Amino acid sequence: MELAERIDRYLDTLDEWLRGLYHGMISHPAYEKIEKEAEDLEDAFMLACFPDAFGIPSPVSYYTAELLPYLEAEFESWERRLWDRNTMLERKGQQYHF
Amino acid sequence: MEPFVFFGGKGGVGKTTVSCAYARKCADAGVETLVVSTDPAHSVSDVFDQQFGDSPEPVAGIDGLSALEIDPDDEVTAHLDEIRTRLSDQVSASMVNEINKQLEMAHQTPGAYESALFDRFVDVMRDSDPYDRIVFDTAPTGSTLRLLGLPEFLESWVERLMYKRRQSIDLFEKAAIGNNEPRRVMDGDPVLQRLQERKEFFEFAGGALREDAAFFLVLNPDQLSVNETERAIADMNQQDLGVRGLIANKLTPAPDDDEDGRGARYLRDRIETEQQRLDHVRGSLSPPLLAEIETRTREVKGDLLGAVAEELAVPVDAEEPTFV
Repeated sequence: MELAERIDRYLDTLDEWLRGLYHGMISHPAYEKIEKEAEDLEDAFMLACFPDAFGIPSPVSYYTAELLPYLEAEFESWERRLWDRNTMLERKGQQYHF
Repeated sequence: MEPFVFFGGKGGVGKTTVSCAYARKCADAGVETLVVSTDPAHSVSDVFDQQFGDSPEPVAGIDGLSALEIDPDDEVTAHLDEIRTRLSDQVSASMVNEINKQLEMAHQTPGAYESALFDRFVDVMRDSDPYDRIVFDTAPTGSTLRLLGLPEFLESWVERLMYKRRQSIDLFEKAAIGNNEPRRVMDGDPVLQRLQERKEFFEFAGGALREDAAFFLVLNPDQLSVNETERAIADMNQQDLGVRGLIANKLTPAPDDDEDGRGARYLRDRIETEQQRLDHVRGSLSPPLLAEIETRTREVKGDLLGAVAEELAVPVDAEEPTFV
């Protein structure tokens, strides 16, 4: 009985470690990378929608303004990302853990 | 002929007079007609001596004729208000201010007027059911051309936006590995949905303009007007919108044969140069010259409008719309 318990505990620890290792080495960097890429694309989308935020007149901003009520979350994080983005290199570099 | 008829041309050549005369001619022929002014400087009200607004109103004294004047200012404000209402329903109070700033900026861009005007006249074409013929009295050449060129351009722009949005949502979905909830989902994305609605709107506008609309240019027998007409024809052909015909307005009337005073000599001289220009128009421009309307000493309204209408050799029969 004691042996089975010890084996179980051993397997549990091993499972946790393996999962952690897999998460840390593979899944976490992967989804982080993909998510950052998605954010970059979203930024490009927002910029294409609202270039007048940077003083560039756009022929479609009258129409894209209709999207604003649905873009609350995007708009907020877009602004935040614009604030703390220094260089493209830094942004891309954040995706690698040395 | 097509149910939608557009009259364009340089400023001050008499587009309003010609479009009102034509609208009256259609109405007199028993065709249920609506005349729409898209020129911010409205003068349809002056021609019929009656104030018109944003919704069609019957013209007093003429059966089967209604008129409507689009005020881009009102349209922009209405658009802004509509988005604001939705904004306060959807967005948290802390973000409303931030987004509001962006919203107001978008409505002060140079294109806002044109977009508002465009939206409204597409709406008019869409709700054209009660009328057999809609006559558009457009703004002077430049802005009209831009207005009519909008659909294709905007459609491709909206397509690009949709493509970008889809790409980023796709990546967000892929980033949700395991049991994670994706930050955005493609299904029922309201942004994509609205963009799709817009795309369909532009498709409709482009189709209606290509299939169901006929364009006429009004010109005066002076060199500037002829030159501008030439350029407008080239521009419109480039946009696949063929000009159906030209209408010369404000021609100098001839004096009686026995007159030989200074005034008569002036008129004869003037007529000669005008005829040279009209010959040039007939010879080198491809759309046919459909009418030559003499200038009137009095404002063209009332009975005079009927007289002008008779000189317009533009067909009045209205076909059923094929696209709308």
